[in-house]
Amino acid sequence: MDLLIEPLSQGFMRRALLAGAAIGGASALVGVFIVQRGLSFLSDGLAHAAFGGIALGLLLGATAEHAIWVALPFTVAVALGIGLVRRRSGLSGDVATGVFFAIAMALGILFLGLRSPQGPPVSVEGLLFGSILAISPDLLAPLLGLVAVLVVMLALSWSRLAYATFDAELATLSGVPVGRLESLLLTLTAVLVVAGVKTVGIVLVSSFVIIPAATAHLLGRNLAGIAVLSAAIGVAGSGIGLLASYYLNVASGAAIILVLGAAFFLALLLRRT
Amino acid sequence: MSAAADPAPRLAPVRVLDVHQLTVDLGGRRVLEEVSLWVERGEFVCLCGPNGGGKTTLLKAALGLVRARAGSLSVLGAPPDRSRPRVGYLPQRKELLTGFPATAAELIVANLRGSWPFRIHPHERDWAEAMLARVGGAQLLDKPLTGLSGGETQKVYLARALVNDPALLLLDEPTAGVDARGRAGFLDLLAGISSREDLSAVLVTHSVEAVRRLARRVVYLDRRVLAVGPPAEVLATSLREGREFAGRDHAEHVPVLCEEE
Repeated sequence: MDLLIEPLSQGFMRRALLAGAAIGGASALVGVFIVQRGLSFLSDGLAHAAFGGIALGLLLGATAEHAIWVALPFTVAVALGIGLVRRRSGLSGDVATGVFFAIAMALGILFLGLRSPQGPPVSVEGLLFGSILAISPDLLAPLLGLVAVLVVMLALSWSRLAYATFDAELATLSGVPVGRLESLLLTLTAVLVVAGVKTVGIVLVSSFVIIPAATAHLLGRNLAGIAVLSAAIGVAGSGIGLLASYYLNVASGAAIILVLGAAFFLALLLRRT
Repeated sequence: MSAAADPAPRLAPVRVLDVHQLTVDLGGRRVLEEVSLWVERGEFVCLCGPNGGGKTTLLKAALGLVRARAGSLSVLGAPPDRSRPRVGYLPQRKELLTGFPATAAELIVANLRGSWPFRIHPHERDWAEAMLARVGGAQLLDKPLTGLSGGETQKVYLARALVNDPALLLLDEPTAGVDARGRAGFLDLLAGISSREDLSAVLVTHSVEAVRRLARRVVYLDRRVLAVGPPAEVLATSLREGREFAGRDHAEHVPVLCEEE
């Protein structure tokens, strides 16, 4: 218990634990559908699109912390664009993601270069690897609210989303609005990825979406069980990772992902025996 | 008044599927061209023809999943997307292998509810089990779909297709990937189901065995309807006209009107 009391007495650790658990759990839940649909690369692509969005926010004069409110609509637009191109062109999701990924990155570099030299300094390291320990009380409340809305939306559409993920055609025959649900899934993923960029950074955020779901897939037998397990792994992984980073004094984003990675390989071993 | 007094009135001939001059293009290619055919209530029709001949596309048009470029199509007296709840569909096997973590019970209940079950209620479970029992697969209820054999998979999907008590069954190669013994059993099953007077079925098949056992009529489709009639007649016409049918049925050593599986 003492292991928990000391970090919890620190305001920044309480905020980090709350944000990490919320974003980790929700990302893991969305990840169940992303992994099952073979769209794992999408979350990676969206993280890089978020970089473009944050750079745009900075160009428009926002602080590094508030730039995520510009990155949110930007990344959602990219996600919906990927979905649209995929449907219209018949190209695979990976190809569409690859195209948008590169364009958004290039735009990000362009936007950063266009900023006035007198603007506030930007921590590129913070963008790449996250700054979960620096989440301010101002940011925490809207972040938690956003995650709560996403989880409710996901819960309300769970049954239809699961059916559409199982087989789009059979779901359509049962009256499930498959196209709209795909747009919803892409939007939810984009929003969580942007929130995740703040916590674990661009480089690692897709693992927040993918690793808990992949781990749960190894252990679970049906989708409902996998969803519950994945969310639990996401919440626990981010809590344990944060505490580990506190005591070992290492980068928190990396610590969270390494804990999730360890859980994945443990699941792989358990499954084989 | 005499009809009302009749204890078992015969059902009047009604077209449950009526396709008129249907043309469908997919990806810039004409897949169906001016296809006209119909299925009457209680009839079992086999749809044969080469791969790429438009058989699956015709079923999908009947389900409202692909759009017609020209022509019309009515299913149970309504446009295809309106009659979906009364149509049972068994997709082609290659479309069934999704790797999705699901049990047979979940798949069947999903069709019953129209959404994927987070939890299955006892009465839904009983209903799914009854459907599986009807196709001789009650023991498959809690089995994961990914571990099922070809024949078991087809049984589960047939139970799924039957769960809403359909008036029309659309079956896309239900015996593909099923071994010879399983296939005979599956055909018995379909024969039993099709004996009901109010249930009609369209069966896409490459199996001459299935055609002989089940079909009242055969439609040979290769972009256009090339032949329609009783199985023996379609075969005879085809031979007389020297139409090239790909493949021979090795088991029976006769030229066949359908490709082998």
